[in-house]
Amino acid sequence: MHPDTITGAVNELRERYGTDVHVAQDGARTLVRINDVPLPPGCQPLATDLLLVLDPSQAKPLHYVRPGQTLSNGQPVQNSSTVVLAGESWMTFSFNVPYLKGDSLARFATAVRQRFGKP
Amino acid sequence: MTHPVELRIPLGVGERLQQIVFRPGNHEYVAFGLVSHARLGTKDVLLVREVIGLDENQYQHAPGHGASWSGTSMLPITERATAEGLGIVVFHAHDHHGTTRLSRDDEQSAMRLLPFFQRRVPARPHASIVLSRDDAAGLFVYPGQDHPARREVRVRWYGQSILNWPARPATHLQSARFQRQELIIGAEGQDTLAMSSIAVVGLGGGGSHVVQQLAHLGIGTLILIDHDHATPDNQHRLIGMTRLDGLLRRRKTSIQRRQVRRINPDTRVTLIHERLPMPATIDALKRADVIIGCVDNLDARADLQQLASRYLIPYIDIGLKARPVTPSSAEEARVAIGGNIATYRPGGPCLWCTGILSDETLTADRCHPERTYATTTDGRPGEAQVVSMNGLLASQAVNEALQLLTGYAGKSITTASSTKKHDPSGAIVGYKKFLGTTGTLDEWGARARHDCLHCHEDLARGDPAWSP
Ligand SMILES: [Zn+2]
Repeated sequence: MHPDTITGAVNELRERYGTDVHVAQDGARTLVRINDVPLPPGCQPLATDLLLVLDPSQAKPLHYVRPGQTLSNGQPVQNSSTVVLAGESWMTFSFNVPYLKGDSLARFATAVRQRFGKP
Repeated sequence: MTHPVELRIPLGVGERLQQIVFRPGNHEYVAFGLVSHARLGTKDVLLVREVIGLDENQYQHAPGHGASWSGTSMLPITERATAEGLGIVVFHAHDHHGTTRLSRDDEQSAMRLLPFFQRRVPARPHASIVLSRDDAAGLFVYPGQDHPARREVRVRWYGQSILNWPARPATHLQSARFQRQELIIGAEGQDTLAMSSIAVVGLGGGGSHVVQQLAHLGIGTLILIDHDHATPDNQHRLIGMTRLDGLLRRRKTSIQRRQVRRINPDTRVTLIHERLPMPATIDALKRADVIIGCVDNLDARADLQQLASRYLIPYIDIGLKARPVTPSSAEEARVAIGGNIATYRPGGPCLWCTGILSDETLTADRCHPERTYATTTDGRPGEAQVVSMNGLLASQAVNEALQLLTGYAGKSITTASSTKKHDPSGAIVGYKKFLGTTGTLDEWGARARHDCLHCHEDLARGDPAWSP
């Protein structure tokens, strides 16, 4: 994701999620953490922190949630693993969330959340 | 009462910093450090990623001031700090031994500069630090603070060993019990061990040897990490294990705590019965002065390397593999046994530079396309393990930890002192290969690869600096 488009994308996220959006510059990449994002009914827990990693060398944001998150049927997310990222523990999973250049980051975050409701 | 700030300075960076600020001349010299920060347990730590000096023509003639430089000379530095989200530390030196402090002029200059840096990068601390030859003092402004404030400073330099400023006077409290050991590491060395914290990850065939020896050495705190339980087939190699432990499937962490308590009840023990990438494990690892990894998979090694680079924690890795081979005669071995010990000195070559970790080795090591963490510790089913060979590698890992903490074989922070002797390629010591069939342990050394994203990119990144 190009650095010029990151500021705009983050501002748009802030309009949607308010003060729950936190940003950190981590070398060349930008980390965006949205605290306590609500998930579909049945998920355990019902809210998670969502981490989006915007890396200039990657076409698409990378998405992570807190370890141990389940889907709405209470089952663990398939093909998920816990990784160390920026010195913290995060869960990565291979949901194929569509994202094209110029797409809204807020819509991407919504798509990630909704995916937890489709076991 | 605020805690001291601990400043961690990687191999190579510390040498450059000292060369700049202790340069003889007709004025003082400054170096700008680009830093991240982290909260590690109760410690506030500043992690120095690199230092930048000024050219002679950027200094201005300013009678009555130690050093004065043009504002424009700082522009590239503040731009770099902003782009990478890093804090700025202005270093200078008062060339004497013993306690030091910022002069009135130093403080006035810091009061002007630090708020300027804070406006550029509000999410990181900024500081002005003066070094003597064995002490440091400073003024800091942390995120959210309105005014710079004095904080006590501890400096941790990485080189041949870990060098701490100011050195604490030896207490000699340990002397009677460790008399023979102190002939090698000294009374100060013994005190350092008693104040140190070592994390051992993986408490199987290698880790149990390591824990036993660390308890005998008198290490102050051991952080013991393993999610696994003992089974009867562990007993031939797991030091401290009883037959009943296997029958009851006791936790490996509990078995090692019992072992430590029998050897040295003064050692504090923290048990983490969790897999490596889980939050409790990561939090515990960040508190360690040294990490010793005795794990059986490369994903775990990659995670430990990342934490070590990011928080500037020395990391010693051991690994042993054996596989059957077809001998062409009765004189030849039926097995190939190979192992290695890799000691990562922050700022030096990492496990990716040595080739132990690569995209290819990681893919080949995984049982599934995803990261596995099938076991973090004790050998996968079918892999050979022999107690005596594990013990050899474990003993050398403990020697490496002892050298890092006490510097019994040398304490210099220069890069040259950590370079393999008579090696024109400039390989840094710490990567040793073990050949099990002949019992030889050879120093190979390793060079930091220029294309290594891991030790360059992750170095001293600290905690993410979230804003707001
Ligand atoms: Zn490297």
